[in-house]
Amino acid sequence: MKKVMNFVLLAASLSAGFTAVSQANELDDLLKQVKADRISEAKLDKQREAEFLSARADKQALLKKAKTRLANEQARNTRLTKEYAANEITLAQKEVELDNAQGTLGEMFGVSRAAAADAYGQITTSIVSAQFPGRGETLDRIANAKEIPALEDLEELWFALQTEMTESGKVAKFTAEVVQLDGTKTTEEVTRIGNFNIVSANGFLNYNDEVGQIQPLAKQPAGYISATASKFFNTNSGYAGVYLDPSRGAILALETRKRTLMEFYHQGDIVGYGITVLLVIGLLIALERMIVLGSMTSKIKAQEKNLDTPNDNNPLGRLLKVYQENKGVDAETLELKLDEAILRETPRVDRGINLIKMFAAIAPLMGLLGTVIGMIMTFQTITLFGTGDPKIMAGNISLALVTTALGLIAALPLILVHSIVAGKSKSVLHKLDEQSAGLIASIAEKESK
Amino acid sequence: MLFLIELLDSVRGFIAQGGNVLYIVAFALFLMWILMIEKYWYLASVYPKKRDEIIKRWDARTDTTSWYAHRIRDKWISEATEELESRMITIKTLVAMCPLIGLLGTVTGMIGVFEVMAQQGTGNPRLMAAGISMATIPTMAGMVAALSGVFFSSRLDAKVNLAKAKLIDSLPHH
Repeated sequence: MKKVMNFVLLAASLSAGFTAVSQANELDDLLKQVKADRISEAKLDKQREAEFLSARADKQALLKKAKTRLANEQARNTRLTKEYAANEITLAQKEVELDNAQGTLGEMFGVSRAAAADAYGQITTSIVSAQFPGRGETLDRIANAKEIPALEDLEELWFALQTEMTESGKVAKFTAEVVQLDGTKTTEEVTRIGNFNIVSANGFLNYNDEVGQIQPLAKQPAGYISATASKFFNTNSGYAGVYLDPSRGAILALETRKRTLMEFYHQGDIVGYGITVLLVIGLLIALERMIVLGSMTSKIKAQEKNLDTPNDNNPLGRLLKVYQENKGVDAETLELKLDEAILRETPRVDRGINLIKMFAAIAPLMGLLGTVIGMIMTFQTITLFGTGDPKIMAGNISLALVTTALGLIAALPLILVHSIVAGKSKSVLHKLDEQSAGLIASIAEKESK
Repeated sequence: MLFLIELLDSVRGFIAQGGNVLYIVAFALFLMWILMIEKYWYLASVYPKKRDEIIKRWDARTDTTSWYAHRIRDKWISEATEELESRMITIKTLVAMCPLIGLLGTVTGMIGVFEVMAQQGTGNPRLMAAGISMATIPTMAGMVAALSGVFFSSRLDAKVNLAKAKLIDSLPHH
């Protein structure tokens, strides 16, 4: 391969030698041209040299100028350094002078700043701000100011504190925008009691200091408490009692979380409703019994005074009728007839009384059922969530207890009512059972004489 | 007088600790004792006159053996015993009710305890203590009320039965 390449290169150089020979005449022309060019280039060089020499003089001047400027600046630098050092000393002196001039006032500014910060927290959360909004901004400026507060600022602080103090001793009525629970804004007249509570015709209101709005409580406290609030609001003269929250809303907030009696009742759920049904039915039966037995007793009393004309509307009258229809018979037959009549009367007297007793017995049992259901739910909750949060368990446990309480609450009046009704019916039965026979016997005795 | 004021104050404190159920206990106790005192008074001063009158009437009768006489005697006895026994059921019921009312107090107190637990957690036992005292004090009060009634009501019952038996014995068939 290498041999082949050498051969090719040799061939190429040979052919180039042949071309140079053929163009020998043109070389003379080239020489002439080179000579001519050399003369013109020398001319050009001369010209450029002249130009350069003239420019060199200019540059020298420029250099000189720059050097003088440098010297000037350096001189200025030394002068300023000296001046700066001198000023530092003056500044230190002046600061000492300032400190001397401030004297004890410096501490006072610190105190005023701290007071402004304190007052800011107190005043923005106070319900007085519901009546006078925008008091917090000045205080905030004073508290966060870097420079010494101006006289106006100090006056502003004093004024804000004084306002808070004066207003906290006042009961003031003013119109304000109330943001209702559904988000609508209404303008209402409200009464502010010191810096404790705001009340309106609808009860207690709450001042939300974060958004600066007056809002109604999510739930008013118990009726007798919120009633005093609206009563107080509507009082125009004289004195009216009102429940006051001295903790400025904390107790009211707790009250909204407290369950009402009605909510407790509804916690009993189906078992609770069942117990209520028992109680109502039992009481209705007792009421019916009382009315019937009462009228029966009074009719029997009326009949006792008028034995000769038996009336059909009372048991005693019916018994007397039996006697009058069987006047001629002997004592044994009469007794049998009377017994039969009494047996007919008895159910009418003691009907339903055992039912009341049964209801009185069932009600606590149903309460127990509710307890067991509640405990089952409690343990289910424990299975799901563990015992970590007593709040979750407590809900179900109180459910269990509510039904127990409901059972007892239903049982107590039922037992009492049963004893009263049973006593009444017993006395009526006595009257029929033992006394009517005696009554008839005495009539018969009188007639036989 | 001062003694009475102190007593009133301690009663008030007791009720404040025990809750409103104590009012029901007090009502039941009051009713129970009123009825019992009335019964004692009746047995001591009203009933003897009535009994003597019935005995006198019976002794005045010539016929004491016929069917009619028996029925009339039964009627008088029945009338007398009815007055003797009236409201005894109520007294006994009230005695039985007292522990039940106490139990109601226990349950409502425990509801209070769990209410506190549901709101505040178990962190502060002092908050729960109020509910616990509301649970235990009515129980105790109910027990005490019942105990105070049990003895006297059973004595009363025995007295009434004795009086009834004596009356029957005092009306012999000549």
